[in-house]
Amino acid sequence: MKVKVNDTELELAPGTSAIDAVFAAGYDVPYFCSQEYMSPIGACRMCLAKVGAPRQDRATGEWILDEETGEPKIFYFPTLMATCTTAIMEGMVIDTLSDEVRGAQNGMVEFTLINHPLDCPVCDKGGACELQDRAYEYGSGLSRFRFDKRHQEKHHALSELITLDRERCIHCKRCVRYFEEVPGDEVLDFIERGGHTYIGTLGEGLPSNFTGNITDICPVGALLDATSRFRGRNWEYDHTRTTGLDDASGSAIIVDARTGRIERIKAALNAEVNKSWIDDGTRFGHEYVDAEDRIKTPLVRKEGELVPVTWEEATGYVKAKLEGIADKELGIVLRADATLEEGVAAKALADHLQTGQLDHCPRPKASVLPEGDAARFTDLATADAIFVIGDVSEEVPAVDLRIKDALKGVSPPASLPHGVPIADLRLKERMPRKAGLLTVAAPYRVDLMRHAGRSVCYPVGGETAFLSALVKLATVEDELSEEEVAALGMPVDEGRALIERLAQAQNAVIVYGSFVLASPAARNAVIALAKAVKAKVMVMGPMANSYGLEAIGVMPSHARYSYQQMIRGGAKALILSGLDPAQDPSVAEALKDLELLVVHHHFANATTALADVVLPAKTGYEKDGTVVNLEGRYLPVRSAPVDGGQSEDFTGLVRYLGEALGVRLDGRSTRSAKRALNHLLAVDLRDLPDEGLLAKAKSRPLRRVSVKEQEAVSGNVLLVPSMVRPEFVSRNPQLRAAFGDVALCLHPDDADQMKLVGGERVRLSVDGTLRKATVRVSETVPQGIMLLPATPEQPVGLVSADLATLVKESSELEVA
Amino acid sequence: MSVLDIAKGMGVTLGHLFKRPVTVRYPEQPVDVKPRFRGRHHLLRHPSGLEKCIGCSLCAAACPAYAIYVEAAENDPDDPVSPGERYASIYEINMLRCIFCGMCEEACPTGAIVLGHEFELADFVYQDFTYGKDDMLVGVMGSKWQRREATQKGRDVRVGLSSGPRPELEGVDY
Ligand code: SF4
Ligand code: SF4
Ligand code: SF4
Ligand code: FES
Repeated sequence: MKVKVNDTELELAPGTSAIDAVFAAGYDVPYFCSQEYMSPIGACRMCLAKVGAPRQDRATGEWILDEETGEPKIFYFPTLMATCTTAIMEGMVIDTLSDEVRGAQNGMVEFTLINHPLDCPVCDKGGACELQDRAYEYGSGLSRFRFDKRHQEKHHALSELITLDRERCIHCKRCVRYFEEVPGDEVLDFIERGGHTYIGTLGEGLPSNFTGNITDICPVGALLDATSRFRGRNWEYDHTRTTGLDDASGSAIIVDARTGRIERIKAALNAEVNKSWIDDGTRFGHEYVDAEDRIKTPLVRKEGELVPVTWEEATGYVKAKLEGIADKELGIVLRADATLEEGVAAKALADHLQTGQLDHCPRPKASVLPEGDAARFTDLATADAIFVIGDVSEEVPAVDLRIKDALKGVSPPASLPHGVPIADLRLKERMPRKAGLLTVAAPYRVDLMRHAGRSVCYPVGGETAFLSALVKLATVEDELSEEEVAALGMPVDEGRALIERLAQAQNAVIVYGSFVLASPAARNAVIALAKAVKAKVMVMGPMANSYGLEAIGVMPSHARYSYQQMIRGGAKALILSGLDPAQDPSVAEALKDLELLVVHHHFANATTALADVVLPAKTGYEKDGTVVNLEGRYLPVRSAPVDGGQSEDFTGLVRYLGEALGVRLDGRSTRSAKRALNHLLAVDLRDLPDEGLLAKAKSRPLRRVSVKEQEAVSGNVLLVPSMVRPEFVSRNPQLRAAFGDVALCLHPDDADQMKLVGGERVRLSVDGTLRKATVRVSETVPQGIMLLPATPEQPVGLVSADLATLVKESSELEVA
Repeated sequence: MSVLDIAKGMGVTLGHLFKRPVTVRYPEQPVDVKPRFRGRHHLLRHPSGLEKCIGCSLCAAACPAYAIYVEAAENDPDDPVSPGERYASIYEINMLRCIFCGMCEEACPTGAIVLGHEFELADFVYQDFTYGKDDMLVGVMGSKWQRREATQKGRDVRVGLSSGPRPELEGVDY
């Protein structure tokens, strides 16, 4: 459609909003309430413009012409229009520059400021505030208000993580709409009317994993990140755009650091991945980086004590020790959120030392790589049938939000010259959701089930049987046996209906995560199911770079060389990065027999207590490198200016160790690692764009290990994925305050039987490792099983706990 | 050049010989500065005793020499440092970087930072040129060095200044 904005004519797709037309033409119009990816509602009236269009004669269909010029006559709307809620029409004329429009904009700025406290000097939004900017650009610069303004609560804690200043709110309704439209929970709303209106919740807190996003979208300083309260002004932060390493989504984030500390993390826009939303684990889970007790220098054990040394001395010591150790007896293990560059460095080191004992952890028993190409986030958002096995809102929360996009049935908006449309007119408040296209299966009730048309709780530990039964339904005509029906966890008709829905869909996607990956047979079954119903698959690996590390082959050359074997006597010397296996006393015993234990970590822990050499490790916010997210997308990781002392990532470790050994190894720097990766994958990883790069890998896994079938059949504790990483909970006090401690969830009947009440602190030996947790009682847990968050050392799966070891520490609070 | 010209020049010199000298015997005698002289900064308080500074960092943003560092914190409502929610927990000016331009004073929304008349800021160690809140809060007289000397010798702080503080320094207790 042809539209004319001031003097610029342009062609736009029908359905575009007038505000987007203005921006596409390169003009500006102020706005507060519209927001990318949310419904335009015309609440702030700031985007006014003079709008008109030619008209057709109803009888003849001819354009009504202006008698003087002979051109089609423009009929202007009788008042100025809110451009965000106006769709463009053929021949529309939009005027944003006339005195009339300017006057109206000025008036609206003044009106918006009537009750605004103007406490910009103490406001954390100051300097990055939409109201400040628009008042500066479009206001008169003078105040005529000589009266006392509205007074409301200035420090209302909406949750432990978010503070609301009700005086500053300009009632744009973005936060209210956000909760209903994006995570799909109506939490906030306007209370009272007129000048007394304020934002409030019904109950206490914000029950969602995605609360922090409202602090990004609030156009003023009404909703603020409580964790960075008063920590710095917006212009004082160093903003680093990078990729979050909290989960496998590869969500884009902006790390704001000041004087060597991370003060806050905000969501960045990556239209193809996380849009502009991130979960609270990614946003608030960074406090451990600046913990007081971080290890910042290399340490070497001398006469039983770890003493600070230089990197050269530490690696010299390692080299001397390595001389006595035969090839193949050294093990190298990375944490699965290590970058590709670190992976290359580890491989180069292992090759040089001629050992096949190389692994990453946690590495599920089954491959995290999909057969063929992985489903992309856009496939998920446009899918017409989705089958989820697992707990997405905890495993990879970004997937949860993209599934909810699909439920709305609105495909991702096409990009305009100015980027994502500001007002997508297809989005509405309280849209009907197509819950029917979503089926969620998990061993216990998970959050996403509230939004699913069909939800199934299959028996705990029964993934293989459950999926095999579905495969049978999909491929064979036979009736299911009684056992198979039991494994299905739902009536057979329901199962058939699910298969039919998936098979008939144009774009079906099957999403599975750690529960399925815990068993190769279950994974094979799900792949067979996907083939049978012609669905794409999306695999939620346990950590940020599980996909990438497996793809480049940071893997043992033989099953007997896996991490689990190495730490139980398989290796004589070990280099462990980011892991703490000695929490398990039996492993600790085995580690004591090692000739050399090198631990590369941020904190002192049970394993560093046994180590000969401790090397300070960079956190995911300090590294430079590349990760591969669950779509197979290469995403850049960039270092924020954080004071990590002498910390190095694994490439740094290999550089120092290589120097000591007198070799120049691949991966001794991110540059040399990128060169090696270019050879390996045929992808140039230098200067990756912000939104990442989807490239087909040249080579597939080099060393695939076939793991013998070894199904966990019994156990009383199910280790489950969680958004808040339990290993860092104690060093993330604010996140802990909001989301609670590591929780041991059990069914009320079990709790009664074990004489436990909610809120009690307990210690329990789980699969040999002593775990501390707070009891949470919930109906969503099946009877006879307890849920506990998995750690890298204790990955997702069914294990047994010795209930005789259960000790109550103290009861902090009673939870009703 | 004629002899007459030389005599004229000598005459000027001679004339000045018998005038009152304009130089002063500083540092034995204190000196006077002009009312708008800009010297060491003071951090002012409200008459209630609360600090005026709210830790907004606008002075640091305005400073052309990047001499100011501010870190803010939240007031304890029962025992506030400043009015409102926010106060400066760290407020530092590096006097070596400062060019005494007065931009900070101009930027401050609460009139908390004001350049005073003290000018004797020489010191020995680099770190001692960083003035914190304790060195600048109103009531504190003298540079770090002058105060150190006073404590060592057990006498009052002596500043070589005879004109009082700037009139802007309301409530200053000299
Ligand atoms: S709190 Fe912020 S986002 Fe919510 S209505 Fe007020 S101004 Fe808008
Ligand atoms: S007087 Fe000028 S240079 Fe000195 S601190 Fe203030 S703004 Fe900076
Ligand atoms: S002195 Fe003034 S401008 Fe500087 S931080 Fe304090 S209140 Fe803000
Ligand atoms: S009315 Fe708020 S952006 Fe249009």
